[in-house]
Amino acid sequence: MNEPLPVDDAWDAGSMGCGELVFRLAMRLRAMRPRSVLKLTASDLGAPHDIPAWCRMTGHSLLRAEHPHYYIERKDT
Amino acid sequence: MPGKLCVSITHAKNDPDKATVGFVVANASVASAQETLVFLSTEAVRIAVKGYAEEIHEEGFAPLKELVSNFVTAGGRIYVCSPCIKKRGLGDEPLIEGATIVGGAKLVEFLAAGAACISY
Repeated sequence: MNEPLPVDDAWDAGSMGCGELVFRLAMRLRAMRPRSVLKLTASDLGAPHDIPAWCRMTGHSLLRAEHPHYYIERKDT
Repeated sequence: MPGKLCVSITHAKNDPDKATVGFVVANASVASAQETLVFLSTEAVRIAVKGYAEEIHEEGFAPLKELVSNFVTAGGRIYVCSPCIKKRGLGDEPLIEGATIVGGAKLVEFLAAGAACISY
């Protein structure tokens, strides 16, 4: 079991998935300060593949992924 | 240099002709050394459920199960639309080898990298 990471905000997205999940995730991160960390909880079956792909495309850093928990650091800009 | 091709399939037993031809084209692509992805959405997600494809054999083509198996063995990947399979109550069913449940971001990443896409 990994040590818990310090987070600035947390969002439980429940079973939300696909386009709605990443759209709302983008809005959440946009409202946060650069380099702050969001703990996302997403139980959707596609999340283990979607969240890493979305982070690669958008430039946010996926610090840790332990489905259904994802720690995402907002990019600088 | 290999290209990238996405074959989007939206039919299963409701239109076995389209479901079958989609995989025929996918096999042509993977056999032509192209990085090939089959994206199963709406009704086509049923094809990813183990055993389902065994009941589809469109006249004039190889059985769908054989086409799917050949595709995966040759290195093709299959993405299964997450909300589509969830909506049909099939999210907990065992899937065929090579099938991965994904949401939109994973598909967009593949397409945005310059993939061409053909739909059935």
